[in-house]
Amino acid sequence: MHHDFLDKFSRHDSPIHRLSAPAKLTSAVLMVILTVLCPWSRYGFFIAAALLLMAVAALTRIPAAFLAKKLLLLEPIALGVAALSLLQPGGLHIFLFILIKSTICLFSMILLSGTTPFADILAVLKRVRVPAILVTTLALLYRYLFVLIDEAERMQRARECRSFDAKPTNAWRNLAAVAGQLFARSSERAERIYAAMCARGWK
Amino acid sequence: MKMNAIEITDLRYRYPDGKDALAGVSFGVAGGECIGLIGPNGAGKSTVLLHLNGILPEKLDGDSAVRVFGDPLTAVSISNVRKTVGLLFQDPDDQLFCPTVFEDVAFGPRQFGLTDSEVGGRVGDSLAKVGLAGFENRQPHHLSQGEKRLVCLAGILACEPEVLVLDEPTSDLDPRARRELKALLQNIPATKIIATHDLEMVVELCSRVVVLDQGRVVAEGPTRELLSNETLMLEHGLEKPHILRHSHPH
Repeated sequence: MHHDFLDKFSRHDSPIHRLSAPAKLTSAVLMVILTVLCPWSRYGFFIAAALLLMAVAALTRIPAAFLAKKLLLLEPIALGVAALSLLQPGGLHIFLFILIKSTICLFSMILLSGTTPFADILAVLKRVRVPAILVTTLALLYRYLFVLIDEAERMQRARECRSFDAKPTNAWRNLAAVAGQLFARSSERAERIYAAMCARGWK
Repeated sequence: MKMNAIEITDLRYRYPDGKDALAGVSFGVAGGECIGLIGPNGAGKSTVLLHLNGILPEKLDGDSAVRVFGDPLTAVSISNVRKTVGLLFQDPDDQLFCPTVFEDVAFGPRQFGLTDSEVGGRVGDSLAKVGLAGFENRQPHHLSQGEKRLVCLAGILACEPEVLVLDEPTSDLDPRARRELKALLQNIPATKIIATHDLEMVVELCSRVVVLDQGRVVAEGPTRELLSNETLMLEHGLEKPHILRHSHPH
């Protein structure tokens, strides 16, 4: 099975894809830092940043629907925290502020991951001396995400084949069982992977 | 007497849950030989293989049951042994842990401290050997099962091992991929130990077999002689392979 939702377009071709990975990673990180640090009074910066990102997005030739879907998927994680600010006086202002900042940051990272293969990002991280253990962990995470999804899908399908009762409580129970199984299988697989790494000289 | 590539003497292993996996296994493999390790499910084949590379036992102490080219496997010799003995795991997804094919094949050579250009050379050579030249930038999760298996093999060949240990190399391959893998293995001059249920492959590749059942060696000898012994085969969950039933083609 082929899962490509993570960096489906990262191996396509466009002026942005052709830029070097270090350049893209640096500008994306810079964009995030500036956005986080910029005070609300300089709202001109946010407008400029948004326009710049949209121009870049157009140049990447990645379908807008794909980018929007990813943004919508990630946004709740930031907004979940921001929603709490609504409970305090003047909260709406803070909420909007966080909404704008988080959207710009997330969109920068989505554009980065959409135009740069993950392996290239890892190579840059390695070159700028990010601790090896962190890079290895990221690499393994990316690699086994796909294996894990495949495994979960196979288990879910096998369960569905023998589930004759469509009651929602049953569905939840099934999901819990799959999650538990998945965890057990993952930890066993982790042991086998470690053995395979040792077999080829990992210390 | 010529020194064996692998010598196993009275190898015992108990799983952490207390179940006996190996109850005194002994056999030797001469340099350049290709042997088949056969037996029913749960006989201990994979457990034996994991000992050849020092993955098991969890703790290496004084007297090791495994000798590689005469040297006992110890905490000191282990990194050398891992260079000498290449292990192909049963599930390619366990073995392909890097984001790209290049990175994966380069993993072993990098652990041995080769320079970048040496590593690049090894990766190119190994991929060419398994017929996957040009696959360097592919991602493991986009490969077919057969291709995954071949990349695993390339990753081991890149370490230039003298002994190849293979766990079920053909178990999930289609007939063409299986045929190609067999031809490939036949052309690799290393000493080979193959644990498998694919008895046809054993007849084609291995001159000698070791039959394992319930953690013990129950028979050992020339492939054709042992595999033709129907009583022995059936007794240990095996069968006389089809190619030994007919002396003439049909």
